Order: sequence, then structure tokens, then C-alpha cells
Amino acid sequence: MDIILGIRVQDSVILATSKAVTRGISILKDSDDKTRQLSPHTLMSFTGESGDTVQFAEYIQANMQLYSIREAYELSPQAVSSFVRQELAKSIRSRKPYQVNVLIGGYNAKTEKPELYQIDYLGTKVELPYAAHGYAGFYTFSLLDRHYRPDMNEEEGYSLLKQCIQELNKRMPMDFKGVIVKVVDKNGVRQLDDIE
Amino acid sequence: MSGYDRALSIFSPDGHIFQVEYAAEAVKRGTCAVGIKGKQCVVLGCERRSTLKLQDTRITPSKISRIDNHVVLSFSGLNADSRILIEKARVEAQSHRLTLEDPVTIEYLTRYVAGVQQRYTQSGGVRPFGVSTLIAGFDPRDSTPKLYQTEPSGIYSAWTAQTIGRNSKTVREFLEKNYNRDDPPASVNDCVKLTIKSLLEVVQTGAKNIEITVVEPDSKIATLSSQEIGKFVEEIEREKQQSQEEHEKKKKSASTPAAPTPATAAL
Amino acid sequence: MGSRRYDSRTTIFSPEGRLYQVEYALESISHAGTAIGVMATDGIVLAAERKVTSKLLEQDTSTEKLYRLNDKITVAVAGLTADAEILINTARVYAQNYLKTYNEDIPVEILVKRLSDIKQGYTQHGGLRPFGVSFIYAGYDERYGYQLYTSNPSGNYTGWKAISVGANTSAAQTLLQVDYKDEINLEGAIDLALKTLSKTSDSSTLTYDRVEFATIQKDEKGDLHQKVYKPQEIQELLVAAGITKKDDDDEDKED
Repeated sequence: MDIILGIRVQDSVILATSKAVTRGISILKDSDDKTRQLSPHTLMSFTGESGDTVQFAEYIQANMQLYSIREAYELSPQAVSSFVRQELAKSIRSRKPYQVNVLIGGYNAKTEKPELYQIDYLGTKVELPYAAHGYAGFYTFSLLDRHYRPDMNEEEGYSLLKQCIQELNKRMPMDFKGVIVKVVDKNGVRQLDDIE
Repeated sequence: MSGYDRALSIFSPDGHIFQVEYAAEAVKRGTCAVGIKGKQCVVLGCERRSTLKLQDTRITPSKISRIDNHVVLSFSGLNADSRILIEKARVEAQSHRLTLEDPVTIEYLTRYVAGVQQRYTQSGGVRPFGVSTLIAGFDPRDSTPKLYQTEPSGIYSAWTAQTIGRNSKTVREFLEKNYNRDDPPASVNDCVKLTIKSLLEVVQTGAKNIEITVVEPDSKIATLSSQEIGKFVEEIEREKQQSQEEHEKKKKSASTPAAPTPATAAL
Repeated sequence: MGSRRYDSRTTIFSPEGRLYQVEYALESISHAGTAIGVMATDGIVLAAERKVTSKLLEQDTSTEKLYRLNDKITVAVAGLTADAEILINTARVYAQNYLKTYNEDIPVEILVKRLSDIKQGYTQHGGLRPFGVSFIYAGYDERYGYQLYTSNPSGNYTGWKAISVGANTSAAQTLLQVDYKDEINLEGAIDLALKTLSKTSDSSTLTYDRVEFATIQKDEKGDLHQKVYKPQEIQELLVAAGITKKDDDDEDKED
């Protein structure tokens, strides 16, 4: 029931993830961060089986870090997401697959373009202007379809996300304790104000 | 003959492990590397093997490698062997981060590298690594400089200043004379200068054959450009010339009969 | 058991700290046909002299010195061709695996490093002899543009602007050093590579059936192309470089 949303605007990608950790009928925590930074210009948000998610994200993080130490070179967001896709595709064919869905937001310093990828636990990778996993999409895609423009700036993107969260707060049957918002642009990863 | 010769490194009757000793010889044939601890930094420097005219310096591998954000390693000995050690160290550093949520300490990494080297002195069908390493950096959340050495035998040790490889004896003598462990170089500049000065004892060709990397706390790692190194080299040479001139002046004044020094007068 | 003893001692340190097996492998390469690589501002040239020639040899199908590793990298080989093919096969698989993982072509140095690591492995464990080959890699990637590397049996690798491996390499290197200019273009590089090869060749005249030749360059659209030259095209290059005279060519054909 986690919310994970991503939106690609003119010069950046904004990712929002819900702060609640729930187990059964209880909320265990209201300040969770469901993202990991994979490289200076790539951020991954994730949802799925608890335990699997962090395990997978940190495994990817370590591998990307290893690559950058080895080669003294940063992989493009495209390459990072391909690597993640392959890991999930390998996992689904293993004895105990990871149950993890991710969004990867990145800024390609070479082409000077932001990129957003959606990858699910089956290994399906799609490049999208805005994306979500789970129920969040059902409530917000209509808003995003109506108001999204590729030339939006960061501020406009943020306020569109705010509208989405408002809608979710209004319609979702459960409390997800607001979202953490992070943005990736040419300067790297930055945290914006939470949306409650 | 029953499997007795499977290991390449075995004791000889008089207690030597020859392959390990010979590996140490390979280290002595390798280009020189120096590590020096300053008050708030560690500097690694090394001699680059003579760069031939048509070599592409852009893409020729460096002799100082980053193992993690906060650790660097330099080596003397077989280049190809070192790559294998470096690769293993890098993987261990990340794996440590992943399992313990903390970067490796410099000592841990050194112990790991030395452990790998030891294993190759006691396993079947392998020869030891022909490599000694200098490992430098700062532990996470700590500002005490660390400098270690590993050897083909698997021995590791901590140093305030150390040198390995070809002509390391000359450089060590220089360091023993010019490095004061109670008062290490205070600034990064002084530390770099001492490193370059010690290398110049054995590197004839100057700046273009020297590599320098400076590590400071909080994962600040900087590699100097050959222009920057060149400036230091010039400065050192200027100072050398000056002191030589002064020396000669003194000699001259000493030999002028007009002003006999007390020593000659006593004669 | 006797042979085991011999095997497991193939690569060990000598008292002076040297690896004789590696040095012998290097020695064997110094008898192999010369290969030359020259990097230009707009491309790279690989030229190699093959030692085995026969009027009966199929010219079009059997290259023995030049191999494509992927869309962006070609190698020239000096040494044992059979050893080389093992490594080339590994390299091709590795390059495609990288492409499959990252959806990007493998950076040249990563492939060079990978092959060099394999070579290193054979000098340290397994009880096998080292690989008896040196390579010249010519490739292109986004990070460094055109690149030229060599690797040898010890597992060392180095980047170059112009380089030769194989027989008479020191003579060839001296010639390259004299005539190489940093701003050389592909045309100049082709000429330099062929002239150097012809001057250092053991045979009196360099004929097209002794030469293998390849280039890497971009077209007007910016797409990278690798070209392994056909015998006829090599002949034309040799004529253009003034190494083969037009008349010789005709005589040759009548034979």
C-alpha cells in the first residue's frame, strides 16, 4: 500500500515516497525513506515485500558504488536502470525472487536530460514522463494526464505532485503519513519539503 | 613425491620459503612508491615507469588506485598482480559497507589485503603476489591519518612514513633523516613537498614521472596534475641550488687566508 | 607425477624475482608477425604482417591477425593464434554480456582490463603456461573517444598513440616515434602504418597477401564503422603508399 510516484519535468526528476511503514493493521513508523541514491545523479525509490526492498536496493547501491570506484566513472541513468532490470530479471528466475518494484530517476549529464524509469519485479522496464507503482497510479494518473507538461519546471512539478497527494489523502482508505520528496537534477540529489 | 610439491611455496630444509623471498625480489624490481603521514593528511607518491614517447598518458593506468571513497592504495612490483589485489580489495570494501553499513577502516582493509597475500603463500598450485602495497586514508569519522604496508608474505605493518620498491633503501634513508615523527609536516603542502623531495632522490626525470595523491579526512582525495607536481619540483630544485651555493660560499670564505676560522687557527 | 611436478612449476619466481615463463612467452612473440596500430584524430588504423602465405591460401576467409571483438573494438594479434582465439572468444562473450547488462557498449578499457586479468591469472595459478599473445586493441567509447591499447602475456596493459608488437618491434617503434604527429589524420595514419610495416618487414617487398589491414572511423552521420580490408583494397592501399608499384601488381595477377 506504499505510495511511490515519480515525475519528469524540464530539467529534473521528482520522486515522492510515502513515509508510513505498515505491518498488518498497524503503522510502525511515519518517517520512512523508501529511496536509495545509486550514484551522484541517480536515485531509486522502491516498494514491495518489506525486507526484500531494502536488501535489494542496498545490493544495487553497493554494486553501483563498486562500478564507480573501479572505473572512476559514473554510469548513465539508462545504464543503471538496465542493470537493475537485469538483476530483477535474474531474480524472477531464481528459487526465491525479490518482490520489489522500483522507480529510477536520474539526470544524464552527457545529454543534459532527466530520465525516469519504471521497473517491476518481473523485470519490465519502461521509460516514462510520470510513473507510479501500486494503487497510487489509479488515483493520480487522471490528474497527471490532465496537467502534465514536459516543459514544467521543478516548482510546477512539485505543485502537481502536491495535488496528487491531496487526491490520495482524500480518496485512499488508509493513512500513508505523507510523502518524502526528492529531486534529481544536474547538481545531484536534493530533498524538498515533505508533503503531508 | 606424494603431493609434496603441490604447493609452490614450501619450506626449504633450512627454513626459508623461497617463493616468498623471490616475490620480495620482484617487489624490489618494481618502481618506487612512498607514503608519508602529515598532521592532517596522508600523501602517496610513486615513480611512474618511464613514459615512452608514444604512450597515451590519458588512458595508461595509474599506480595509485582508489579502493573506496576514503582509501587509496599504491604498490611496487608486478602491475598485473596488483590489479587483482586491488579488485579484491574494492569488492571487500563495498561488501563491508553493505553488510555492516559502515565503510572499512584502513586497518581492516590492510588486514584483508595482507590476508589475501598470505593465502597465496600457502595454497596449492599458486605463486605469491609479487607486490607490496601502501594503503593510506582516514577511518570513517576520524581525523587521524593512517598508513600501512603489506608484503608478499602477508605481513602488514603501520608506518609514519614508508617506501617500497626499487631504490627504496635510498629513499628510506632520506626519510629517516628528514622526517620527524614527533613533528610531522603540518600542512598538506609541506607533506607533498617532502614526498616529492624523497622521490626525487631516485627519480631522475622529474615531474612527468611522478604521481601524487593526497588524502584528507572526510574522503577528500585529490590527485595532483603534472603541472602542480612540476611546480614543487622547481621549488625543490631552486632550494637545492641555493643551499649548494651557500655551502660553496662558506667553503670559499673558509679557505680565504684573510679570515682564518678558529679551527684552522688551532691547527 | 613427474609431469605434474613440471606443470605446477611453470610460472614461479626466479631468485631475482622474475617470471621466466612470462619472459619466454614475450620472447616467442618477438618472432611473430609484426602488428602496428596508429591512432589518428579521426580514427584508428591496424596493420599486420602475416607470416604464413601460400598461393593456395584463401585470401578472403582466413584472417589470422585481425579480429572484431564487438561493434566498437578490433584487435590485432601477435603470437600464438590458437591462444589468441581463446581469449578473443572470451572477449566477445564478455562484451555482449556487458551490452546485455547495461544496454550500452562496453568501454574499451574495461574489456582490455578483463582480458589482461585473464592473462594475469595464467601467470599465477592453475599450473598452466601463460598465454603466448600480445594484442593491440583499437576501439572507441563515449568517455575517451578513440583509444589504442596493448596487452602482453604478463597481463600488463598500456595506452598508446602509436604502437607495434611482434617481430622487429623496436625498429618499428623508432620509426613511429620519428614520424608520428599528434594531429595526424586517418589518411596519414594509414600511410604511416603501411610504410612502417614495409620498412620493418623481413621480406624484401611487402605484398598484399602478407598484409592484413583494418580501420575504425566515423561516417558523416557520426556512426562508427569498422572496416577489415579485402585483399584487393589492401593492394590499392599499397600502391597508393608507393610500396607496391603498379607494374608489379599486373605481373602478380598473371602468375
